[in-house]
Amino acid sequence: MAIIQMIDLTKKFGKLTAVDHLNLSIEEGEIFGFLGPNGAGKTTTLLMLVTVIKPTEGKAIVGGYDITREPDKARQLIGIAFQDPKLMWVMTPWEVLNWHAKVCGLTSSERKERVRWALTELDLWGDRYKSVHAFSGGMRKRVEIAKILIQRPKIAIIDEPTTQIDIVGKHKIWNMIRELKDEGSTIILATNELYEADLLSDRVAIMHRGKLLVCDSPKKLKDSIVGGDLIEIILEKEAPKITIEELKNINRVVEVLVLKPNHLRIYLNRAEEILPQITEFFIKTHLPIRSIRMSEPSLDDVFAHYTGLTIEEAEK
Amino acid sequence: MIKHVLLVAERDVKMFLQYKFILILRALWFLAQIALFGFVANRMVKEDVQIVTGNYFYFYAAGIVITLLYSMAVFISYDIYEEADHGVVEYLLSLPISRRELVLGRAIGGGLRSFLYVAPLMLVVLLMIGMTEPFRILIAFVALFLFAFGVSGMSITIAVSIKSHDRFDILLGVLNAFIVRLSTTMYPVVFMPKQYAVLAQFNPLTYAADIFRWGAGLEATLITNPFLSVLGIILFFSFFTFIGIIFYERRLEGGGWR
Repeated sequence: MAIIQMIDLTKKFGKLTAVDHLNLSIEEGEIFGFLGPNGAGKTTTLLMLVTVIKPTEGKAIVGGYDITREPDKARQLIGIAFQDPKLMWVMTPWEVLNWHAKVCGLTSSERKERVRWALTELDLWGDRYKSVHAFSGGMRKRVEIAKILIQRPKIAIIDEPTTQIDIVGKHKIWNMIRELKDEGSTIILATNELYEADLLSDRVAIMHRGKLLVCDSPKKLKDSIVGGDLIEIILEKEAPKITIEELKNINRVVEVLVLKPNHLRIYLNRAEEILPQITEFFIKTHLPIRSIRMSEPSLDDVFAHYTGLTIEEAEK
Repeated sequence: MIKHVLLVAERDVKMFLQYKFILILRALWFLAQIALFGFVANRMVKEDVQIVTGNYFYFYAAGIVITLLYSMAVFISYDIYEEADHGVVEYLLSLPISRRELVLGRAIGGGLRSFLYVAPLMLVVLLMIGMTEPFRILIAFVALFLFAFGVSGMSITIAVSIKSHDRFDILLGVLNAFIVRLSTTMYPVVFMPKQYAVLAQFNPLTYAADIFRWGAGLEATLITNPFLSVLGIILFFSFFTFIGIIFYERRLEGGGWR
Protein backbone atom coordinates (compact mmCIF):
# COMPACT_ATOMS: atom_id res chain seq x y z
CA MET A 1 0.00 0.00 0.00
CA ALA A 2 1.35 3.42 -0.96
CA ILE A 3 2.02 5.64 2.04
CA ILE A 4 3.20 8.54 -0.12
CA GLN A 5 1.93 9.49 -3.53
CA MET A 6 3.33 12.31 -5.60
CA ILE A 7 1.27 13.44 -8.53
CA ASP A 8 2.88 15.89 -10.95
CA LEU A 9 4.68 17.40 -7.99
CA THR A 10 6.50 20.50 -9.17
CA LYS A 11 8.51 23.23 -7.49
CA LYS A 12 9.79 26.31 -9.27
CA PHE A 13 12.06 28.97 -7.84
CA GLY A 14 11.64 31.83 -10.28
CA LYS A 15 12.69 30.51 -13.67
CA LEU A 16 14.39 27.45 -12.21
CA THR A 17 12.31 24.29 -12.07
CA ALA A 18 13.82 22.40 -9.15
CA VAL A 19 11.31 19.53 -9.29
CA ASP A 20 9.53 18.88 -12.55
CA HIS A 21 6.20 16.98 -12.55
CA LEU A 22 7.33 14.17 -10.30
CA ASN A 23 5.09 11.10 -10.19
CA LEU A 24 6.04 8.53 -7.58
CA SER A 25 4.53 6.16 -5.04
CA ILE A 26 6.34 5.03 -1.93
CA GLU A 27 5.15 1.83 -0.32
CA GLU A 28 4.56 1.46 3.39
CA GLY A 29 7.45 -0.18 5.22
CA GLU A 30 10.05 0.10 2.48
CA ILE A 31 13.37 1.90 2.39
CA PHE A 32 13.07 4.14 -0.61
CA GLY A 33 16.26 5.65 -1.99
CA PHE A 34 16.29 9.00 -3.70
CA LEU A 35 19.39 9.12 -5.83
CA GLY A 36 20.95 11.84 -7.86
CA PRO A 37 23.72 14.38 -7.97
CA ASN A 38 23.58 17.62 -5.99
CA GLY A 39 20.95 19.86 -7.54
CA ALA A 40 18.87 16.96 -8.86
CA GLY A 41 15.85 18.08 -6.83
CA LYS A 42 15.99 15.45 -4.06
CA THR A 43 16.10 17.84 -1.12
CA THR A 44 13.44 20.12 -2.61
CA THR A 45 11.14 17.11 -3.00
CA LEU A 46 11.74 16.11 0.61
CA LEU A 47 11.12 19.65 1.87
CA MET A 48 7.78 19.62 0.07
CA LEU A 49 6.83 16.26 1.58
CA VAL A 50 7.62 17.51 5.05
CA THR A 51 5.54 20.67 4.29
CA VAL A 52 8.43 23.07 4.80
CA ILE A 53 7.89 24.48 1.31
CA LYS A 54 4.78 24.42 -0.83
CA PRO A 55 4.59 22.86 -4.29
CA THR A 56 4.13 25.20 -7.23
CA GLU A 57 2.02 22.61 -9.04
CA GLY A 58 0.76 19.09 -8.48
CA LYS A 59 0.20 17.44 -5.16
CA ALA A 60 1.49 14.88 -2.72
CA ILE A 61 -0.48 12.70 -0.35
CA VAL A 62 1.36 11.70 2.81
CA GLY A 63 -0.33 8.99 4.86
CA GLY A 64 -3.66 9.95 3.33
CA TYR A 65 -3.25 13.70 3.91
CA ASP A 66 -2.74 16.26 1.15
CA ILE A 67 0.40 18.22 2.07
CA THR A 68 -1.12 21.49 0.88
CA ARG A 69 -4.57 21.12 2.38
CA GLU A 70 -3.74 19.29 5.61
CA PRO A 71 -0.08 20.00 6.32
CA ASP A 72 -0.48 19.80 10.10
CA LYS A 73 -1.84 16.26 9.87
CA ALA A 74 0.82 15.20 7.37
CA ARG A 75 3.53 16.47 9.72
CA GLN A 76 2.21 14.27 12.52
CA LEU A 77 3.34 11.24 10.52
CA ILE A 78 6.63 12.43 9.17
CA GLY A 79 10.05 13.31 10.53
CA ILE A 80 13.21 14.46 8.83
CA ALA A 81 16.94 14.41 9.48
CA PHE A 82 18.32 17.20 7.33
CA GLN A 83 21.37 17.08 5.11
CA ASP A 84 22.95 20.00 6.97
CA PRO A 85 22.41 19.71 10.72
CA LYS A 86 19.87 22.30 11.85
CA LEU A 87 21.18 23.21 15.27
CA MET A 88 21.46 26.48 17.12
CA TRP A 89 25.09 26.82 18.17
CA VAL A 90 24.30 27.65 21.79
CA MET A 91 22.38 24.43 22.44
CA THR A 92 23.80 21.13 23.72
CA PRO A 93 22.87 17.74 22.20
CA TRP A 94 21.07 16.92 25.43
CA GLU A 95 18.86 20.01 25.13
CA VAL A 96 18.31 19.59 21.38
CA LEU A 97 17.24 15.96 21.64
CA ASN A 98 15.15 16.27 24.78
CA TRP A 99 13.24 19.20 23.35
CA HIS A 100 12.79 17.39 20.04
CA ALA A 101 11.45 14.32 21.85
CA LYS A 102 9.01 16.44 23.86
CA VAL A 103 7.68 18.19 20.75
CA CYS A 104 7.25 14.82 19.04
CA GLY A 105 5.03 13.73 21.91
CA LEU A 106 7.22 11.14 23.65
CA THR A 107 6.37 10.41 27.26
CA SER A 108 8.91 11.29 29.91
CA SER A 109 10.13 7.70 30.31
CA GLU A 110 10.31 7.10 26.53
CA ARG A 111 12.21 10.34 26.13
CA LYS A 112 14.78 9.53 28.78
CA GLU A 113 15.31 6.03 27.46
CA ARG A 114 15.56 6.96 23.77
CA VAL A 115 17.72 10.06 24.21
CA ARG A 116 20.15 8.09 26.33
CA TRP A 117 20.14 5.20 23.83
CA ALA A 118 20.69 7.45 20.78
CA LEU A 119 23.45 9.49 22.41
CA THR A 120 25.21 6.34 23.57
CA GLU A 121 24.87 4.52 20.26
CA LEU A 122 26.13 7.52 18.32
CA ASP A 123 29.08 8.07 20.68
CA LEU A 124 27.80 11.41 21.90
CA TRP A 125 27.00 10.56 25.51
CA GLY A 126 30.25 11.98 26.85
CA ASP A 127 29.68 15.23 24.97
CA ARG A 128 26.00 15.63 25.73
CA TYR A 129 26.41 18.82 27.77
CA LYS A 130 28.82 20.53 25.36
CA SER A 131 27.59 23.26 23.06
CA VAL A 132 27.24 22.01 19.47
CA HIS A 133 29.28 25.06 18.51
CA ALA A 134 32.37 23.11 19.57
CA PHE A 135 31.39 20.01 17.57
CA SER A 136 32.96 18.74 14.35
CA GLY A 137 30.80 18.37 11.24
CA GLY A 138 30.50 14.63 11.85
CA MET A 139 29.37 15.10 15.45
CA ARG A 140 26.73 17.63 14.41
CA LYS A 141 25.52 15.22 11.75
CA ARG A 142 25.17 12.50 14.38
CA VAL A 143 23.03 14.83 16.53
CA GLU A 144 20.84 15.45 13.48
CA ILE A 145 20.46 11.72 12.84
CA ALA A 146 19.71 11.12 16.52
CA LYS A 147 16.59 13.29 16.21
CA ILE A 148 14.91 10.92 13.78
CA LEU A 149 16.05 7.82 15.65
CA ILE A 150 14.45 9.18 18.81
CA GLN A 151 11.29 10.32 17.06
CA ARG A 152 10.73 7.04 15.18
CA PRO A 153 8.07 8.54 12.93
CA LYS A 154 5.79 6.55 10.67
CA ILE A 155 7.65 8.09 7.73
CA ALA A 156 11.30 8.92 8.31
CA ILE A 157 13.12 11.08 5.80
CA ILE A 158 16.88 10.98 6.03
CA ASP A 159 18.80 13.34 3.77
CA GLU A 160 22.41 12.26 3.16
CA PRO A 161 22.62 10.21 6.36
CA THR A 162 26.34 9.59 6.43
CA THR A 163 28.03 12.64 4.94
CA GLN A 164 30.99 13.66 7.11
CA ILE A 165 30.71 10.40 9.08
CA ASP A 166 33.65 8.02 9.35
CA ILE A 167 33.35 4.45 8.06
CA VAL A 168 32.66 2.89 11.49
CA GLY A 169 29.98 5.49 12.11
CA LYS A 170 28.50 4.84 8.68
CA HIS A 171 27.97 1.15 9.44
CA LYS A 172 26.42 2.02 12.77
CA ILE A 173 23.99 4.46 11.16
CA TRP A 174 23.11 2.01 8.39
CA ASN A 175 22.25 -0.60 11.02
CA MET A 176 20.17 1.92 12.92
CA ILE A 177 18.28 2.81 9.74
CA ARG A 178 17.54 -0.88 9.19
CA GLU A 179 16.33 -1.18 12.79
CA LEU A 180 14.08 1.82 12.25
CA LYS A 181 12.57 0.03 9.28
CA ASP A 182 12.13 -3.17 11.30
CA GLU A 183 10.19 -1.19 13.88
CA GLY A 184 7.69 -0.21 11.20
CA SER A 185 8.90 3.10 9.77
CA THR A 186 8.85 3.79 6.07
CA ILE A 187 12.19 5.32 5.24
CA ILE A 188 13.05 7.77 2.49
CA LEU A 189 16.74 8.01 2.01
CA ALA A 190 18.16 10.79 -0.12
CA THR A 191 21.76 10.28 -1.03
CA ASN A 192 24.34 10.79 -3.70
CA GLU A 193 26.33 7.89 -2.31
CA LEU A 194 25.27 5.14 -4.66
CA TYR A 195 26.76 2.35 -2.61
CA GLU A 196 24.71 3.44 0.39
CA ALA A 197 21.50 3.50 -1.65
CA ASP A 198 22.27 0.09 -3.13
CA LEU A 199 23.01 -1.38 0.27
CA LEU A 200 19.93 -0.08 2.09
CA SER A 201 17.14 0.58 -0.40
CA ASP A 202 14.32 -1.73 -1.38
CA ARG A 203 13.61 0.60 -4.28
CA VAL A 204 15.48 3.49 -5.78
CA ALA A 205 14.37 6.53 -7.74
CA ILE A 206 17.03 8.26 -9.78
CA MET A 207 16.54 11.99 -10.30
CA HIS A 208 18.39 14.32 -12.59
CA ARG A 209 17.71 18.02 -13.21
CA GLY A 210 14.42 17.87 -11.33
CA LYS A 211 13.05 14.93 -13.28
CA LEU A 212 12.55 11.31 -12.38
CA LEU A 213 14.64 9.15 -14.68
CA VAL A 214 13.77 5.70 -13.43
CA CYS A 215 12.42 3.94 -10.34
CA ASP A 216 12.76 0.27 -9.38
CA SER A 217 14.63 -2.08 -7.08
CA PRO A 218 18.43 -1.74 -7.30
CA LYS A 219 18.61 -5.28 -8.68
CA LYS A 220 16.13 -4.62 -11.48
CA LEU A 221 17.76 -1.32 -12.32
CA LYS A 222 21.14 -2.99 -12.64
CA ASP A 223 19.66 -5.84 -14.65
CA SER A 224 18.05 -3.33 -16.97
CA ILE A 225 21.48 -2.45 -18.36
CA VAL A 226 22.01 -4.79 -21.31
CA GLY A 227 25.27 -6.62 -20.86
CA GLY A 228 25.89 -4.83 -17.60
CA ASP A 229 27.12 -7.89 -15.65
CA LEU A 230 30.64 -9.10 -16.09
CA ILE A 231 32.43 -12.42 -15.67
CA GLU A 232 36.19 -12.67 -15.99
CA ILE A 233 37.63 -16.13 -16.54
CA ILE A 234 41.25 -17.23 -16.61
CA LEU A 235 41.66 -20.67 -18.16
CA GLU A 236 44.42 -23.20 -17.68
CA LYS A 237 45.03 -23.13 -21.45
CA GLU A 238 44.21 -21.02 -24.50
CA ALA A 239 40.60 -20.89 -25.69
CA PRO A 240 40.16 -21.77 -29.37
CA LYS A 241 38.25 -19.35 -31.60
CA ILE A 242 35.41 -21.77 -32.08
CA THR A 243 34.91 -21.98 -28.32
CA ILE A 244 34.67 -18.18 -28.14
CA GLU A 245 32.00 -18.22 -30.87
CA GLU A 246 30.04 -20.95 -29.07
CA LEU A 247 30.29 -18.95 -25.85
CA LYS A 248 28.78 -15.92 -27.61
CA ASN A 249 25.79 -18.03 -28.59
CA ILE A 250 24.83 -18.75 -25.01
CA ASN A 251 21.61 -16.97 -24.13
CA ARG A 252 22.14 -13.61 -22.30
CA VAL A 253 25.81 -13.38 -23.24
CA VAL A 254 26.17 -10.03 -24.95
CA GLU A 255 29.89 -9.85 -25.73
CA VAL A 256 33.09 -11.80 -25.15
CA LEU A 257 36.44 -10.01 -25.06
CA VAL A 258 39.68 -11.96 -25.30
CA LEU A 259 42.10 -10.08 -23.08
CA LYS A 260 44.76 -12.76 -23.39
CA PRO A 261 44.45 -16.12 -25.16
CA ASN A 262 43.47 -17.72 -21.81
CA HIS A 263 41.85 -14.65 -20.24
CA LEU A 264 38.25 -13.87 -21.24
CA ARG A 265 35.89 -11.10 -20.22
CA ILE A 266 32.20 -11.90 -20.76
CA TYR A 267 29.54 -9.16 -20.77
CA LEU A 268 26.10 -10.54 -20.03
CA ASN A 269 22.81 -10.09 -18.19
CA ARG A 270 21.90 -11.70 -14.85
CA ALA A 271 25.29 -13.29 -14.43
CA GLU A 272 24.36 -15.09 -11.21
CA GLU A 273 21.72 -17.13 -13.07
CA ILE A 274 23.90 -18.08 -15.98
CA LEU A 275 27.17 -18.75 -14.17
CA PRO A 276 26.55 -22.51 -13.70
CA GLN A 277 25.84 -22.85 -17.42
CA ILE A 278 29.10 -21.09 -18.30
CA THR A 279 31.23 -23.21 -15.96
CA GLU A 280 29.57 -26.33 -17.34
CA PHE A 281 30.33 -25.12 -20.87
CA PHE A 282 34.07 -24.90 -20.12
CA ILE A 283 34.07 -28.32 -18.43
CA LYS A 284 32.39 -29.85 -21.50
CA THR A 285 34.91 -28.20 -23.84
CA HIS A 286 37.79 -29.55 -21.71
CA LEU A 287 39.06 -26.10 -20.79
CA PRO A 288 39.74 -26.14 -17.02
CA ILE A 289 39.11 -22.85 -15.23
CA ARG A 290 41.99 -21.43 -13.16
CA SER A 291 39.99 -18.50 -11.71
CA ILE A 292 36.63 -16.91 -12.16
CA ARG A 293 35.38 -13.51 -10.98
CA MET A 294 31.89 -12.14 -11.30
CA SER A 295 30.82 -8.51 -10.86
CA GLU A 296 27.56 -6.77 -11.46
CA PRO A 297 26.99 -3.15 -12.47
CA SER A 298 26.67 -0.60 -9.70
CA LEU A 299 24.05 2.12 -9.46
CA ASP A 300 26.80 4.39 -10.80
CA ASP A 301 26.52 2.42 -14.03
CA VAL A 302 22.74 2.71 -13.92
CA PHE A 303 22.98 6.48 -13.51
CA ALA A 304 25.50 6.67 -16.33
CA HIS A 305 23.30 4.46 -18.50
CA TYR A 306 20.29 6.77 -18.13
CA THR A 307 22.06 10.13 -18.25
CA GLY A 308 25.22 9.46 -20.20
CA LEU A 309 27.06 11.08 -17.28
CA THR A 310 28.75 9.95 -14.11
CA ILE A 311 27.43 11.43 -10.85
CA GLU A 312 30.55 13.64 -10.66
CA GLU A 313 30.03 14.92 -14.19
CA ALA A 314 26.35 15.54 -13.52
CA GLU A 315 27.20 17.61 -10.44
CA LYS A 316 29.39 19.88 -12.55
CA MET B 1 -2.29 23.43 21.39
CA ILE B 2 -1.18 24.99 24.70
CA LYS B 3 1.36 22.23 25.26
CA HIS B 4 3.07 22.95 21.96
CA VAL B 5 2.97 26.72 22.47
CA LEU B 6 4.60 26.31 25.87
CA LEU B 7 7.22 23.95 24.44
CA VAL B 8 8.17 26.52 21.82
CA ALA B 9 8.32 29.20 24.51
CA GLU B 10 10.40 26.88 26.70
CA ARG B 11 12.92 26.48 23.89
CA ASP B 12 13.26 30.24 23.52
CA VAL B 13 13.74 30.70 27.25
CA LYS B 14 16.36 27.94 27.42
CA MET B 15 18.20 29.30 24.41
CA PHE B 16 18.19 32.77 25.94
CA LEU B 17 19.80 31.42 29.10
CA GLN B 18 22.65 30.10 26.98
CA TYR B 19 23.64 33.63 25.97
CA LYS B 20 25.51 33.97 29.24
CA PHE B 21 27.95 36.56 27.91
CA ILE B 22 25.14 38.83 26.73
CA LEU B 23 23.14 38.37 29.91
CA ILE B 24 26.08 39.25 32.12
CA LEU B 25 27.00 42.26 30.00
CA ARG B 26 23.43 43.56 30.02
CA ALA B 27 23.31 43.23 33.80
CA LEU B 28 26.59 45.14 34.02
CA TRP B 29 25.19 47.77 31.67
CA PHE B 30 22.21 48.14 33.99
CA LEU B 31 24.47 48.40 37.01
CA ALA B 32 26.58 51.08 35.31
CA GLN B 33 23.48 53.03 34.29
CA ILE B 34 22.22 53.08 37.88
CA ALA B 35 25.41 53.34 39.87
CA LEU B 36 27.31 55.68 37.57
CA PHE B 37 25.05 57.58 35.23
CA GLY B 38 22.00 57.67 37.52
CA PHE B 39 24.08 58.64 40.53
CA VAL B 40 25.90 61.46 38.72
CA ALA B 41 22.80 62.66 36.88
CA ASN B 42 20.96 62.84 40.18
CA ARG B 43 23.62 65.27 41.46
CA MET B 44 23.52 67.29 38.26
CA VAL B 45 19.80 67.90 37.97
CA LYS B 46 18.37 71.15 39.25
CA GLU B 47 16.31 71.39 42.36
CA ASP B 48 13.07 71.78 40.41
CA VAL B 49 13.65 68.37 38.80
CA GLN B 50 14.03 66.84 42.26
CA ILE B 51 10.81 68.55 43.33
CA VAL B 52 8.89 67.28 40.27
CA THR B 53 10.21 63.75 40.48
CA GLY B 54 10.35 63.46 44.25
CA ASN B 55 13.74 61.84 43.84
CA TYR B 56 15.34 61.86 40.39
CA PHE B 57 17.59 58.88 41.16
CA TYR B 58 14.56 56.68 41.89
CA PHE B 59 12.75 58.11 38.90
CA TYR B 60 15.69 57.31 36.66
CA ALA B 61 16.22 53.80 38.13
CA ALA B 62 12.57 52.94 37.49
CA GLY B 63 12.84 54.22 33.92
CA ILE B 64 16.08 52.50 33.04
CA VAL B 65 14.85 49.09 34.15
CA ILE B 66 11.96 49.50 31.72
CA THR B 67 14.34 50.31 28.86
CA LEU B 68 16.23 47.13 29.77
CA LEU B 69 13.00 45.11 29.63
CA TYR B 70 12.28 46.65 26.23
CA SER B 71 15.74 45.89 24.81
CA MET B 72 15.72 42.30 26.07
CA ALA B 73 12.24 41.66 24.60
CA VAL B 74 13.45 42.94 21.23
CA PHE B 75 16.22 40.32 21.30
CA ILE B 76 13.98 37.50 19.99
CA SER B 77 14.42 38.89 16.46
CA TYR B 78 18.13 38.24 16.55
CA ASP B 79 17.34 34.58 17.23
CA ILE B 80 14.94 34.56 14.29
CA TYR B 81 17.65 35.92 12.00
CA GLU B 82 20.21 33.51 13.34
CA GLU B 83 17.84 30.59 12.85
CA ALA B 84 17.30 31.66 9.26
CA ASP B 85 21.08 31.83 8.76
CA HIS B 86 21.60 28.34 10.21
CA GLY B 87 18.57 26.80 8.48
CA VAL B 88 16.94 26.07 11.84
CA VAL B 89 13.70 27.58 10.52
CA GLU B 90 13.35 24.56 8.24
CA TYR B 91 13.68 22.30 11.26
CA LEU B 92 11.04 24.22 13.23
CA LEU B 93 8.68 24.12 10.25
CA SER B 94 9.09 20.36 9.89
CA LEU B 95 7.99 19.61 13.45
CA PRO B 96 4.60 18.09 14.24
CA ILE B 97 3.21 21.40 15.48
CA SER B 98 1.07 23.95 13.66
CA ARG B 99 2.46 27.22 12.31
CA ARG B 100 0.19 29.16 14.68
CA GLU B 101 1.47 27.26 17.71
CA LEU B 102 5.01 27.93 16.58
CA VAL B 103 4.51 31.64 16.08
CA LEU B 104 2.50 32.17 19.26
CA GLY B 105 5.13 30.24 21.18
CA ARG B 106 7.86 32.51 19.81
CA ALA B 107 6.03 35.67 20.86
CA ILE B 108 5.33 34.28 24.32
CA GLY B 109 8.86 32.92 24.65
CA GLY B 110 10.37 36.27 23.67
CA GLY B 111 8.27 38.12 26.22
CA LEU B 112 8.61 35.54 28.94
CA ARG B 113 12.36 35.25 28.83
CA SER B 114 12.93 39.00 28.88
CA PHE B 115 10.52 39.37 31.78
CA LEU B 116 12.17 36.54 33.72
CA TYR B 117 15.56 38.16 33.18
CA VAL B 118 14.51 41.69 34.12
CA ALA B 119 12.08 40.83 36.96
CA PRO B 120 14.87 40.33 39.56
CA LEU B 121 16.39 43.66 38.52
CA MET B 122 12.96 45.29 38.86
CA LEU B 123 12.76 43.84 42.34
CA VAL B 124 16.16 45.35 43.14
CA VAL B 125 14.89 48.75 42.03
CA LEU B 126 11.70 48.27 44.03
CA LEU B 127 13.67 47.30 47.12
CA MET B 128 15.78 50.42 46.65
CA ILE B 129 12.72 52.63 46.33
CA GLY B 130 10.74 50.78 49.00
CA MET B 131 7.96 48.29 48.35
CA THR B 132 4.99 49.90 50.02
CA GLU B 133 2.14 48.72 47.80
CA PRO B 134 2.37 44.97 47.08
CA PHE B 135 -0.97 44.85 45.27
CA ARG B 136 0.06 47.68 42.96
CA ILE B 137 3.36 45.92 42.31
CA LEU B 138 1.48 42.81 41.32
CA ILE B 139 -0.67 44.75 38.83
CA ALA B 140 2.42 46.49 37.48
CA PHE B 141 4.21 43.17 36.99
CA VAL B 142 1.28 41.67 35.12
CA ALA B 143 1.10 44.75 32.87
CA LEU B 144 4.85 44.68 32.27
CA PHE B 145 4.64 40.99 31.43
CA LEU B 146 2.17 41.87 28.67
CA PHE B 147 4.35 44.80 27.64
CA ALA B 148 7.29 42.41 27.12
CA PHE B 149 5.05 40.16 24.96
CA GLY B 150 3.99 43.17 22.91
CA VAL B 151 7.59 44.28 22.36
CA SER B 152 8.52 40.74 21.26
CA GLY B 153 5.59 40.74 18.84
CA MET B 154 6.68 44.13 17.50
CA SER B 155 10.24 42.92 17.12
CA ILE B 156 9.12 39.76 15.27
CA THR B 157 6.89 41.88 13.00
CA ILE B 158 9.79 44.13 12.04
CA ALA B 159 12.24 41.24 11.67
CA VAL B 160 10.04 39.28 9.30
CA SER B 161 9.20 42.40 7.30
CA ILE B 162 12.86 43.14 6.62
CA LYS B 163 14.92 40.39 5.03
CA SER B 164 18.36 41.82 5.71
CA HIS B 165 19.88 41.37 9.15
CA ASP B 166 22.00 44.51 8.70
CA ARG B 167 19.03 46.66 7.74
CA PHE B 168 17.13 45.31 10.69
CA ASP B 169 20.01 46.22 12.99
CA ILE B 170 20.15 49.79 11.74
CA LEU B 171 16.38 50.25 11.72
CA LEU B 172 16.08 48.91 15.22
CA GLY B 173 18.85 51.22 16.43
CA VAL B 174 17.04 54.25 15.02
CA LEU B 175 13.67 53.04 16.26
CA ASN B 176 15.03 52.43 19.74
CA ALA B 177 16.54 55.89 19.82
CA PHE B 178 13.16 57.45 19.09
CA ILE B 179 11.05 55.12 21.23
CA VAL B 180 13.28 55.44 24.29
CA ARG B 181 13.97 59.14 23.96
CA LEU B 182 10.38 60.07 23.19
CA SER B 183 9.21 58.38 26.37
CA THR B 184 9.24 59.30 30.04
CA THR B 185 11.72 56.58 30.95
CA MET B 186 14.54 59.05 31.60
CA TYR B 187 12.94 62.44 32.10
CA PRO B 188 9.58 63.73 33.32
CA VAL B 189 7.15 64.87 30.70
CA VAL B 190 6.94 68.41 32.15
CA PHE B 191 10.46 69.12 30.96
CA MET B 192 9.76 67.99 27.39
CA PRO B 193 8.89 70.42 24.62
CA LYS B 194 5.16 70.35 23.96
CA GLN B 195 5.41 68.40 20.68
CA TYR B 196 7.64 65.76 22.28
CA ALA B 197 5.32 65.48 25.24
CA VAL B 198 2.36 64.77 22.95
CA LEU B 199 4.24 61.95 21.26
CA ALA B 200 5.44 60.59 24.60
CA GLN B 201 1.84 60.18 25.68
CA PHE B 202 1.28 57.61 22.93
CA ASN B 203 4.45 55.67 23.60
CA PRO B 204 4.16 52.16 25.10
CA LEU B 205 7.43 52.74 26.93
CA THR B 206 5.83 55.69 28.71
CA TYR B 207 2.93 53.46 29.76
CA ALA B 208 5.35 50.81 31.01
CA ALA B 209 7.49 53.31 32.91
CA ASP B 210 4.38 54.94 34.35
CA ILE B 211 2.85 51.71 35.59
CA PHE B 212 6.13 50.62 37.15
CA ARG B 213 6.52 53.96 38.93
CA TRP B 214 2.90 53.73 40.07
CA GLY B 215 3.62 50.28 41.45
CA ALA B 216 6.70 51.64 43.19
CA GLY B 217 4.75 54.53 44.69
CA LEU B 218 6.46 57.22 42.57
CA GLU B 219 3.25 58.94 41.64
CA ALA B 220 4.38 62.53 41.31
CA THR B 221 5.38 62.24 37.67
CA LEU B 222 2.74 59.98 36.17
CA ILE B 223 1.33 61.44 33.00
CA THR B 224 -1.67 59.17 32.73
CA ASN B 225 -4.12 57.45 34.98
CA PRO B 226 -2.42 54.09 35.81
CA PHE B 227 -5.39 52.19 34.50
CA LEU B 228 -5.10 53.99 31.20
CA SER B 229 -1.45 52.91 31.14
CA VAL B 230 -2.57 49.31 31.68
CA LEU B 231 -5.12 49.72 28.91
CA GLY B 232 -2.46 51.20 26.61
CA ILE B 233 -0.18 48.25 27.32
CA ILE B 234 -2.99 45.75 26.68
CA LEU B 235 -3.77 47.43 23.34
CA PHE B 236 -0.08 47.46 22.41
CA PHE B 237 0.31 43.81 23.41
CA SER B 238 -2.81 42.71 21.55
CA PHE B 239 -1.96 44.63 18.41
CA PHE B 240 1.62 43.49 18.04
CA THR B 241 1.10 39.92 19.21
CA PHE B 242 -1.71 39.59 16.68
CA ILE B 243 0.10 41.44 13.87
CA GLY B 244 3.38 39.66 14.67
CA ILE B 245 1.69 36.28 14.43
CA ILE B 246 0.03 37.12 11.10
CA PHE B 247 3.24 38.52 9.59
CA TYR B 248 5.42 35.68 10.84
CA GLU B 249 2.93 33.03 9.75
CA ARG B 250 2.61 34.54 6.27
CA ARG B 251 6.34 34.84 5.96
CA LEU B 252 6.85 31.22 6.96
CA GLU B 253 4.13 29.93 4.67
CA GLY B 254 5.40 32.00 1.78
CA GLY B 255 8.94 30.74 2.21
CA GLY B 256 10.14 34.31 2.88
CA TRP B 257 12.64 33.00 5.43
CA ARG B 258 14.70 31.36 2.70
